[in-house]
Amino acid sequence: MQNYQFHGPRTVGEALNILSERGDGCRIIAGGTDLIPALRNEDILPDSVLNILEIDELTGISEEGDTIRIGPTTTFTEIIQSQVIKRSLPLLVEAASSVGGPTIRNRGTIGGNICNGSPAADVLPAVVALDGELELQSKALGTRIIPAAEAVEAPYQTRFNRDELLTGILIKKLPSETRYAFEKLASRNAMARAYMNISIVLKLDEKGAFSDLRIVPGTLEAVARRMSAAEKILMGRQPEDSLVEEAADAFVGDLAGVWIPDYKLPVARSVFKRVLKRALNGSGVE
Amino acid sequence: MAGKEDKVLLRMKVNGEEAEVAVKPTWTLLRVLREELGFTGTKKGCEQGDCGACTVIMDGKAVNACLVLALQAESKEIETIEGLGTADALHPLQKSFIEHGAVQCGFCTPGMLMSAEALLRENRKPSLEEIKIGISGNLCRCTGYTKIIKAIESVSQKNREALTPFRGQ
Repeated sequence: MQNYQFHGPRTVGEALNILSERGDGCRIIAGGTDLIPALRNEDILPDSVLNILEIDELTGISEEGDTIRIGPTTTFTEIIQSQVIKRSLPLLVEAASSVGGPTIRNRGTIGGNICNGSPAADVLPAVVALDGELELQSKALGTRIIPAAEAVEAPYQTRFNRDELLTGILIKKLPSETRYAFEKLASRNAMARAYMNISIVLKLDEKGAFSDLRIVPGTLEAVARRMSAAEKILMGRQPEDSLVEEAADAFVGDLAGVWIPDYKLPVARSVFKRVLKRALNGSGVE
Repeated sequence: MAGKEDKVLLRMKVNGEEAEVAVKPTWTLLRVLREELGFTGTKKGCEQGDCGACTVIMDGKAVNACLVLALQAESKEIETIEGLGTADALHPLQKSFIEHGAVQCGFCTPGMLMSAEALLRENRKPSLEEIKIGISGNLCRCTGYTKIIKAIESVSQKNREALTPFRGQ
């Protein structure tokens, strides 16, 4: 590993000062499950490393009206065990449970999963499907809030300024009867990088037609985004088999030729249909 | 602020005892445990967080010591396999691993035991599925998983309160 200075601030204010002074050569570390291997492989060569795990303001889950605020250093284990998340955002529990194994989930954080910007992130697509927002702070710009969907520009590259710190993940509670499903396809059930994952959030109206639908795959593209072509086909209509087939065609049509090789498209198509069916058959949030 | 080359003093508790070590900012907890403090029971495997051989318990949670920077362990309580039991006073999990033949080459064993101990502290009677998830971050390349799972299950079925408490507590 290249030598670096280690900073261990206790408050957001101190962290922002350090970032403002050393923005360019400074890497933020939380759980380190992605960053430490990258440091060891010398994929990244920072001058300084800023540990944010000792900043109390950055951890924990709280309810602010109809919004749930998740501190960026909240671990996957804490998300899985949170009654608030289980009740209001169960999709996040499924996504967080699919990450690594217990030791990784005990260290890895939701903020790290977002800021690392890996195309194979498991939780970031779920946050995008939940229409999550990110609160960023810096000395230069103060506080700004951006949609989670805009966080990542390219693999391992966020749109955050170098002096900005992610200080909160804000997600509106799902309205009652919202249904959801998450599935990860990987070489084995634990400690595996996703071949693909899909997060789906949907709501049906009183006639059984889609009144809300968000489909966000991970790993199938460089950056997680909503699959608007498939969403458009389904919105306002009832989930009949022929329509689901049409949506599945649109789903893979949206992906084809860009990031994943063609031979994976039939698998993506089949996983998409399975996850959609699971979401439709699910009982939904109370 | 110390320079990049300088060592920094790290204070933590290892197996119930205070430890003070001068460490480089690039060192991991694994390196400090093994090479500075001599706790070589914690194994160095992949150093990528994939194999679980370096599993220790930090502030009550099982973690990969190779994925913790030494300076992130400041003021933390670390428990290693050396704190679990001794040759004269084996921990119930260690006894059970021996009784069930759950040790082959032995390289994964310390990590397996620490993961199992962390699991049983949180969940006294885990289901078979929960045990499998509990050790899903630990690779056994001898593939002796069945006996390892049986060994953990056997301890979980006994009354944990009657068992020897962790030495460092």
